[in-house]
Amino acid sequence: MVSKVPKLKAGYAAKCIRCGRVIAKNSLCDPSGILALCIAALILLIPAFYFPLISIHLLGITEGANLLQGALMMTSNAPIVSFVVLFCAVIAPTLLILTITFSSACLTFNYHPPYLPKILKITRILIHWSMLEVYMVSLMVAIFKLMTYADLYLGAGFYFFGALLMLNMTILSNYNNHDYWERYIHG
Amino acid sequence: MDKHATAGKTGIEQGLQLCTICGNYSRQIDNPETCPVCFNDIAQRKNNSLQKTWALLITSMVFIIPANLYPITYLLKNNILYPDTIFSGIISLINSDMLGIALIVFVASIAVPIFKIAALAVIALSVQLHWNLSPKKQLWAFGFVEWIGKWSILDLFVISIMVAVFDKGHLLSVYPGVAATSFTVVVITTLFAANSFDTRLIWDAQTHE
Repeated sequence: MVSKVPKLKAGYAAKCIRCGRVIAKNSLCDPSGILALCIAALILLIPAFYFPLISIHLLGITEGANLLQGALMMTSNAPIVSFVVLFCAVIAPTLLILTITFSSACLTFNYHPPYLPKILKITRILIHWSMLEVYMVSLMVAIFKLMTYADLYLGAGFYFFGALLMLNMTILSNYNNHDYWERYIHG
Repeated sequence: MDKHATAGKTGIEQGLQLCTICGNYSRQIDNPETCPVCFNDIAQRKNNSLQKTWALLITSMVFIIPANLYPITYLLKNNILYPDTIFSGIISLINSDMLGIALIVFVASIAVPIFKIAALAVIALSVQLHWNLSPKKQLWAFGFVEWIGKWSILDLFVISIMVAVFDKGHLLSVYPGVAATSFTVVVITTLFAANSFDTRLIWDAQTHE
């Protein structure tokens, strides 16, 4: 159904006249703001994935487990599971933040390389596959399950991961793929 | 290029098409195959949307059976292997007084996949057979399926954390089972099925009635 989108105030969204879904939004952040958020997220990404999320005291040994280990340890037993976990929890979020950083930087500095449309297209697809918030809830479930077996400690990675999740959600709620296309075409 | 559009009428009635990649619209006769703005493939409705949705849905219906019957994890404790299916995992959570967690796992691994498959099948059938169900209700169900879709991957993430933590060889280890792979296939195919379904078909089926 064709809808006429009025000029939107910042922070407002327009809905479809037929089904009521959001069809356009005017985000509070322009590309330069999103660029700043993305750079912060990129910095957090490394410790969030590298430092142990939880440490467990088991059979007399205290050992930490980070986000990458679990997925990589399953490669021999269940390669498909391992790949999907790795993709949804690590690869997609990383690539998504990288592509948004890149396209925001291009638009902020008025640099229009010929491959920018490809980047925007990939970003749109990756949004569906970035599942950091699901991982956070899974971690909570795992922590509750493990508490019956052993002593648990939250590792440094957990706090970095929490901060990364917040930033990621802020970026995604302000990022507007269509708006980037418009800026690319008219800028 | 005249691409005047009247609000309140469908794009297909006015010979217009919307690009799903860049979100711009154009006239169908001017550019039948590519979007004039971003040069990606364009069509008035997603090509073969129903066929793709059905193919992926049927795949997920097949794989949901082994996903629930076979063990999803193996716990190796003192050289003895304890298999665990999705359901027995939930039962053991209830037995250890963790009702909240059991509920989350039940919703994410059993309720959500079945609901997703059922809802998508009903929507696809009603489009195909012109059942005249309320389009707003169908769209609400579809939106819910889309929103909740990614949460069914929760159990796989939990397994990956368990595998990383329990890594003491023959003394205490966790391995993913056959069902883990089947469950992954269910999650991925339902996600793609929802993705390949064109919601505008719900409204098309209504007007052609």
